[in-house]
Amino acid sequence: MLKRFDWMKMIYPLVTTGVFIGIWQMASGVYNSDLLMPPPVKTVSALWRAVQDWSVLTNLLLTLKRVLTGFGIACIIGLPLGFAMGASRAVFQLFDPLISSVRQVPMMAWVPLTIFWFGLGDGPTLFLIAMVGIFPLILNTIAGVRAISPTYYHAARSMGAGPWSIFAHIIVPAALPDILTGMRLAMGLGWMSVICAEFIATSAGFGFAMVEAQTRMETDSLLALMIMGASVGYGIDKTLRLIESGLTRWRHAA
Amino acid sequence: MELQIDRISKTFKNNGRPHPVLQDVSLTVGGGAFVTLLGPSGCGKTTLLNIIGGFLEATSGEVRLNGAVVKRPGPERGFVFQDYALFPWMTVRENILYPLKQQRWSNAERAQRLAQLLSMAHLEGKEHLYPSQMSGGMKQRVAVIRALAPMPKVLLMDEPLGALDQHLRQSLQEELESLWETDGTTVLMVTHDVDEAVFLSDRVIVMSTDPGNIAGDISIRLPRKRDRNGTAYHAYKDQLTRLVHSSGDFPGTARMASAR
Repeated sequence: MLKRFDWMKMIYPLVTTGVFIGIWQMASGVYNSDLLMPPPVKTVSALWRAVQDWSVLTNLLLTLKRVLTGFGIACIIGLPLGFAMGASRAVFQLFDPLISSVRQVPMMAWVPLTIFWFGLGDGPTLFLIAMVGIFPLILNTIAGVRAISPTYYHAARSMGAGPWSIFAHIIVPAALPDILTGMRLAMGLGWMSVICAEFIATSAGFGFAMVEAQTRMETDSLLALMIMGASVGYGIDKTLRLIESGLTRWRHAA
Repeated sequence: MELQIDRISKTFKNNGRPHPVLQDVSLTVGGGAFVTLLGPSGCGKTTLLNIIGGFLEATSGEVRLNGAVVKRPGPERGFVFQDYALFPWMTVRENILYPLKQQRWSNAERAQRLAQLLSMAHLEGKEHLYPSQMSGGMKQRVAVIRALAPMPKVLLMDEPLGALDQHLRQSLQEELESLWETDGTTVLMVTHDVDEAVFLSDRVIVMSTDPGNIAGDISIRLPRKRDRNGTAYHAYKDQLTRLVHSSGDFPGTARMASAR
């Protein structure tokens, strides 16, 4: 039974991929234009060139560095705020109106303003990544802290725990699953929006490399970069999932 | 050791109207006795235990431990919660060591106490399990030894076996009895189960409802490892059952009758 199931798990994605590539191949035959729709083979060879191209890799690393830095900023501001808002009604009511309204500004609408503020370069991209990441972090941390059963606090206090121990040993681990969900969302959103910011506000980075491919009218390189972007995003999420299941082993232990 | 409950009253607001739950409850327990608060639901027995534990403030009255007034939770009053409140992100070992770390016990003392508690509860070899990996009975035993770990002066238990089925309940009552006999702490336990009260207690405090007060204070003078089928045992059960019924409106009796 188990073996058969594993086979199915292998076969279904292969079938989907095969059908998808087949349709792609046919479409490229119909258009018969490398600019509009390069065939899969050409795209794969462009991908092969791209992964060996140092300038592409440098741009990719630069972008990853921006995402991590922006994510770090989002964590430094968002996590303490989320803990405070989750634990205290007063703090929540103090910050909630601000957060709920700023959150509604479409993310890309920040770009022109941040170019004024920081000039072209790292500033606007970091701002944008931190901005998209901070809200899921705050909201998930609040939800995680609020969901903690009051008996855990009672139990800890009856064992003589002080506020610091309650924070470090009760609140943080109890809210951790929600916080990690917030982190995954923040990373994903950061990775998605960084490319956009780089289209506009920078002269280097993965998004900028895509603009370059566009201006050179190399659609196959552009598609290759898109595939790379998707793979890196997938890799980031997978890594975070691994960290998550490592840190919250107690939930799945059986 | 003496735990004194001195004229405790508690009034909750119910739709803006004051609803007295406890009225002038006074009680003294100590000397390593196993004391049970028995009563129908709604008699305020859990409220009283939460006030003693320091989780709830009394409207009036005082709780004193060896003469000193207590108002907040503290490690000298161990507490076993109805749903155990084991920390699911900690293993058995970490759960038991948590109160000892808070009390700044040395590593050697911690290790010694841990080994002692695990053997008392027959949980040797289970110290690396997480709560999600344990049966209800195991969780219950861990909750009791965690509460006993820092050597509290009194152990407060809120329906500690309430979540378990009848069969497991009886065998855990025996476990609980032997843990208490080994440890020697004074116990104050809340239950609504008459059989449990007779099996375990030196003294049963029967509570009445509306507002909660003490309706009877019965000493159970039976030798331990009590025989659940003995005549004296049954006489105590009958006596307590009558007392509980006469002291509160039970669902199915007074309250239902008056509703009709």
